[in-house]
Amino acid sequence: MKPIFVRGISPQTRLLVAVVLSIILIVANPYLVPFRAALSGLLTPFQYLASLPNLVLNYSVEALATREMLQKQNQQLLDQQLLMSERLQRFEHLRQENQRLRTLLKSPVRMNTRMKVAEVIEVANDPAHEYVVLNQGQDDGVFVGQPVIDGQGVVGQVVQASPYTSRVLLLSDSTHAIPVRVTRNDVRMVVNGTGELDQLELKFVAKSTDVRVGDLLVTSGLGHRFPEGYPVARVVSVNKDDGQKYAQVTAEPLAALDRIRYVLLIWPNDDKSTQVDSKEVTP
Amino acid sequence: MSYQSASGRLVAWVTFMVALVLQIMPLPAELEAWRPDWVLITLICWTMRLPLRYSIFTGFILGVVLDVLLGATIGIRALGFSICIYLVLMYQQRLMNFPRWQQSLVVFAIVALYQLLVYWLEFILGVRTFSVDLFYPAISSFVIWRWAYWVIRSIAHKYRVT
Repeated sequence: MKPIFVRGISPQTRLLVAVVLSIILIVANPYLVPFRAALSGLLTPFQYLASLPNLVLNYSVEALATREMLQKQNQQLLDQQLLMSERLQRFEHLRQENQRLRTLLKSPVRMNTRMKVAEVIEVANDPAHEYVVLNQGQDDGVFVGQPVIDGQGVVGQVVQASPYTSRVLLLSDSTHAIPVRVTRNDVRMVVNGTGELDQLELKFVAKSTDVRVGDLLVTSGLGHRFPEGYPVARVVSVNKDDGQKYAQVTAEPLAALDRIRYVLLIWPNDDKSTQVDSKEVTP
Repeated sequence: MSYQSASGRLVAWVTFMVALVLQIMPLPAELEAWRPDWVLITLICWTMRLPLRYSIFTGFILGVVLDVLLGATIGIRALGFSICIYLVLMYQQRLMNFPRWQQSLVVFAIVALYQLLVYWLEFILGVRTFSVDLFYPAISSFVIWRWAYWVIRSIAHKYRVT
């Protein structure tokens, strides 16, 4: 082997430069957001390329579906749609009633929030972290801290947004926490991720707290990040061990975190909460 | 001659890109933890073959790219790759003369060291908790090394990357 070019820099010096540069990068990370966004915009083709086998698999599953399968699925969807529309009718009635009551109490009326469907193009490729990457980015109005839900409940929040894609931290990640309340009695709690897709934990719950297996936990809106009232998880076990300081409560996320394909991005700030004038009140 | 070396450079970077795609490709949940460190393996192959062209700075750049792709703190994998590639560079002559199984053992050690470095840095930054899964990639890299090296060597021979 012959040297192509001989440079005077010794490996030791190179290592030193690389290590110092890395440490500078690690320390300067909070200031690197635009750099990261630009670079991940450039690297978007890689993410699409990596998701290609999955896309092909999904497509072929759809393409190979038989007539009976499709008919069955269609029937299921029709049934579901009927059920949903019945619920929607009741919901509409309740919404109007709620709005009337809120105007009577002179509290802000909640309007509809803007939503958009996004497709998952990549799931966590690093076993230590729970992420998914969506095909919507800054160009579509996605912002850091945006809530993400699916048909069943909260999925997580956007932590990085590049021009064409965005990265969502799932609520099962061990660094994620979300303020919730129990629907049964409005007790406030915080749900932490554990790193396991199907398990969440509630930390620092006093043993006297009224929480039972089967309780539904919904977002409380207290963190000013998630709008109020979206279902998050259901309590699966409550262990009040005398040896422990707090009750050990675990919950199961309602969103199907292990097989999400389509999710909804929410723009809670488009929701114009307005104080309604007293003259608009209809008794 | 210059044409050859330019195309050679391109070939190596194509293998790096393939490695990056393999590194971020979605896998079934059961296999996720066992994903070999494709980028590091490819880097070790090229550093062993052409230590003057692909070494610490190549590792650094690929580390930054991988950090961005994985959404991790930028610089973590850059540091890990730099240190691991430095070790390969130091023992490059000896490594080239090792039998393949002995090389696999060294690769196992290097990948384990890399995983530990990444774990350690992320732990300091408070975004990671310990689990034994950490060393699975070292085991799978140990198994895959023989074939990975063979593929890279064939590519290098075919496109006369020298």
